[in-house]
Amino acid sequence: MSRGDSGTAAGSSVRPEPWRGLMWLAARECLRVSKLWTQTMLAPVVSSLLFILVFGLSLGTRIREVSGFEYEVFIVPGLIAMAMAQAAYSNNSSSIFQARSDRYIDDVLAAPMRPWQMNLGLTVGGAFRATLIGVALGALAIPLTGAPVERPLALAAAAVLLVTLFGALGVVVGIYAETFDHHTFINNIVILPLTFVGGVFYSVEILPSPWEQLSHANPLFYVVNAVRYGFLGVSDVSVWLSFAVTAAIAAAVVAWSQYLFTTGRRLKP
Amino acid sequence: MGYALSIKGLAKRYDDGTLALDGLDLEVPAGEFFGLLGPNGAGKTTLINAICNLIRVTEGEILVFGRPASSLEARRSVGLAEQDPNLDRFLSVREALLYHGGYYGLTRRRSAERAEEMIDVFDLRAKADVRAPKLSGGMRRRLLLARALLHEPGLVILDEPTAGVDIELRRELWRYIRRLHSRGTTILLTTHYLEEAEVLCEEIALIAGGEIVARSTPEGLKRQFGASTLEDVYLKAVHEREREAVA
Repeated sequence: MSRGDSGTAAGSSVRPEPWRGLMWLAARECLRVSKLWTQTMLAPVVSSLLFILVFGLSLGTRIREVSGFEYEVFIVPGLIAMAMAQAAYSNNSSSIFQARSDRYIDDVLAAPMRPWQMNLGLTVGGAFRATLIGVALGALAIPLTGAPVERPLALAAAAVLLVTLFGALGVVVGIYAETFDHHTFINNIVILPLTFVGGVFYSVEILPSPWEQLSHANPLFYVVNAVRYGFLGVSDVSVWLSFAVTAAIAAAVVAWSQYLFTTGRRLKP
Repeated sequence: MGYALSIKGLAKRYDDGTLALDGLDLEVPAGEFFGLLGPNGAGKTTLINAICNLIRVTEGEILVFGRPASSLEARRSVGLAEQDPNLDRFLSVREALLYHGGYYGLTRRRSAERAEEMIDVFDLRAKADVRAPKLSGGMRRRLLLARALLHEPGLVILDEPTAGVDIELRRELWRYIRRLHSRGTTILLTTHYLEEAEVLCEEIALIAGGEIVARSTPEGLKRQFGASTLEDVYLKAVHEREREAVA
């Protein structure tokens, strides 16, 4: 060990800079996404693109128009929404679960940051990953299918609400998960099926009663419709209702994750 | 005299009902090299975790340099090297140090400077771009210490820093920590190596059953317990506490 260190006792008088901590924590989460790019980016983009190619371009010619759009165009918004939701959720749940499991989350929990800054910093990774996937899928699917972007501002707002909702859900599940199976369970048993029956591949208007009515009880139905409105300018329900339901659920999940950081429950024994 | 650490009536009961700390009082003067000794399960790590905001305290008050331990200022002034290596598996040695500096509010430039200094001080240069899971046990221990010291804390907490470390590295670490202390840094050390605590620490507190059962200089403790070695003091103090608990 060399003698060149300048360690001092000055630490007690140095002013904390919690905003800087937040920026570094957010950067760390984004760095993790970029280091694992084959898992975090490539795999979801390829699988969603395969859905578009197989369901849209191959089967699309055999299916009549849906809501006034060719089938391959109709499914693009839902597939992008589904990929973004899964990315935002699974990124944050796995990142936080690993950090808790290996206990390197202690380095963050002990740091001079406010609870909301820790919460936000750890949520950013999922938003970053979901946004990159959304942009990449849009850049590939729009030229392939000719899907329009009719309401860009509405699309941006829907994307923000979507990544907020699922990013915060990932944080909550990452904090509660006892094993890695718990985080995959929520994805495979809750998010994926609800997205599938939320109108990704069809308009719920074509469903017989009571399935059409039951679809309205599925929160993912509103998320898919908010994104679809941004792309195609159409929605199975009032776009305001879609935004309101998505925003209300997002607010509830964010409040839940913030409660966990503020009280330390599940994060600290 | 200013205190680096002032703890009053600290209690911690875990969710399973275990009472790990039972109304503990402790004051550590600023600039002191302070040892905390006790058997496994005595409450040492719980106490450290309480100071560092890593557990939810049931009751009591902790002040770090006169400020509540949960305040941003107090957090900024504490550096912790935990007992078990808890390193970010996605970051290299250099990145682990750089990002830690960022979490503690250092600018990018200052954090990078300190990271390079720490890499040299702890002889981590050859492994600077290696991720933590690929480091040997000794290298992980060096990185843990480098990380704890990177943001130049006024209070450094070392939870059994030499556990599982070979003699050569242990002596290097002690040399470095002594040098740090000589510059005014307060050190709070837990260790199972009693002879090291005797040589290094100005004051020692013995903890058992979640309470401080004795506290003095190493010589003072020997006089108090009529013992010739710190090991005898430790055994007498701990066994006395156990007898009291049974009675």
